[in-house]
Amino acid sequence: MPAGKGVVEGGEIPYQPWAAAKRLENFTNRQTVDPLGKCYLPGVPRIMYLEFPFQIFQTSEHVAITFEWSQVYRLIYLNGKPPLHEGVESWMGDSRARWEGDTLVVQVTGQNDKTWFDMAGNFHSDALGVTERYTMLDADTIQYDVTINDPKVFTKTWKMSVALLRQKNMDRILEYQCQAEAEEADGSFERDPRTWYPQLGTPASPTAAMAPGGSLPALKTGANLRHTADGKADLTGYYSPGGGGANYGLERHGRDFLTPSTRGVVIDPADGSLPYQPWARAERINRELPYRGYDDPTAHCFVAGVPRGIYTPSPTEIIQTPGYVVLLFERMAWRIIPLDGRAHIPDNIRLWQGDSVGHWEGDTLVVDTTNLNGKTWLNEVGDVMSHAAHVVERFVPVDAGKITYRATVTDPIAYTRPWTIEIPMNRQSEELLEVACHEDNGDLQNLKNVRDEFRAQQKKEK
Amino acid sequence: MRIRHAGAILVMVTLMAGKVLAHHSFTAEFDEKKPIKLTGKVTEMKFSNPHSWIYIDVETNGKIVNWALETGAANSLIRRGWKRTDLPAGTVLLVDGWQARNGSATANVSSITFTDGRRLFAGSSNEAAPTK
Repeated sequence: MPAGKGVVEGGEIPYQPWAAAKRLENFTNRQTVDPLGKCYLPGVPRIMYLEFPFQIFQTSEHVAITFEWSQVYRLIYLNGKPPLHEGVESWMGDSRARWEGDTLVVQVTGQNDKTWFDMAGNFHSDALGVTERYTMLDADTIQYDVTINDPKVFTKTWKMSVALLRQKNMDRILEYQCQAEAEEADGSFERDPRTWYPQLGTPASPTAAMAPGGSLPALKTGANLRHTADGKADLTGYYSPGGGGANYGLERHGRDFLTPSTRGVVIDPADGSLPYQPWARAERINRELPYRGYDDPTAHCFVAGVPRGIYTPSPTEIIQTPGYVVLLFERMAWRIIPLDGRAHIPDNIRLWQGDSVGHWEGDTLVVDTTNLNGKTWLNEVGDVMSHAAHVVERFVPVDAGKITYRATVTDPIAYTRPWTIEIPMNRQSEELLEVACHEDNGDLQNLKNVRDEFRAQQKKEK
Repeated sequence: MRIRHAGAILVMVTLMAGKVLAHHSFTAEFDEKKPIKLTGKVTEMKFSNPHSWIYIDVETNGKIVNWALETGAANSLIRRGWKRTDLPAGTVLLVDGWQARNGSATANVSSITFTDGRRLFAGSSNEAAPTK
């Protein structure tokens, strides 16, 4: 690691003697025991000075920070209320803030004892209390001052200070999916060449002639909606999906062992079935076999993709500012939707969550997503989507407590024509909790065993 | 189990059946043809996401095996008022469920009851699981 003059006030962290020894042990073994090396959530303050960019979104009641590193986000509450659920321990902690003049002061509590402050083995216990102060030094520089209080590990409180610089030539943050990249590199996760970009020797995004989709009746936005200062429907809030079992199949299906029935969420085609090409239907059926369960990216705790993130049985927080709508998924992932009319990123940049741009049509938010990487499944039973998919979503606030969500998917690699799903999103008075996933994923090895046994059997039969 | 939780447990059974978070295919991991019944003492309650796990020591013919029981996500338990300290080690539980396909001491549970017949929160780790 490079030399540095340090960011700690006074130059030294005041460890208790036992803790100084522990820190030295951490340092000695850092190549194998640094939690960040396992792609575990970095904790606060470490996430703030990782060498990856982040973006800040500010409303009167929240500050949301989305990080390029593994789609981590922080949702900091400015509403003056204590946490809704007390005594919860998590990797990133609970953040509550207030303004002192122009300085944002954030108290972070409830962090577990599994994160470090840096890659040099500096550590803390579960008694950690972090106070962050964000002060603008000029239009483009935040002075980030941190006070660390942990009576189990240190002899007194200590401080560090870092400058956070606004990046002017960066119009978006992209993705660094730490765990997914590691598992693709070591072969634990295998990409399917039929859906993955790039498919060698074929154009990036085929524009195959497809039959047109059906026409759908327009949805009416509610009459008594809350609006923001700039006159847009205010979507900010916590939503639970009424997925209708979409996570277990978008089409109508009966209840099976451990899998619930669903009436289906496909509204076009009118018969509720997905217009699969024959190869993709065969693949969909194959993915329900037990040995394929390991291939679902979410079983590996990778991000759900688009539109799946909306109807995983887990909540979503919408944060809306004049220029952006940001979706924060409880399963630690975000989507940033700029509303300034910008174009999509170049075709050869492919992302798990794709590239989304949005605009308002009256009170309806319309979001256009391309640049998907074709690695995601549409649900646990394996409805298919490729990198060629173009997704148009409509968030229609039908009343103050409900958004009707529609997504139209046009994917010429897997389907014969566009199709549309519809799902209600219900607003609730709740707060997001953290889903650390691969940090505690007890299932993946079992799923891998089933896959490996199947492959061994196949090999024997050959 | 402390007394003040007794009421909460009964309420929880009905709530949990309707909504538990899933993040992987259950049919891929667990075997419909391997229903099991277990009685054992809690060694640990691991309060985690995307699933919580209860570990119990089960004695069969003088041999003790530690079973891993998959239940709902910590977040859904927290939203129903549960804390990580609410299931102390030593509590005896009766478990119905399905064993993992790989034959390991791992199970998806359909019901867990205390020795006095009260049911614990975990209907199943999947909202799909048949209820009895």
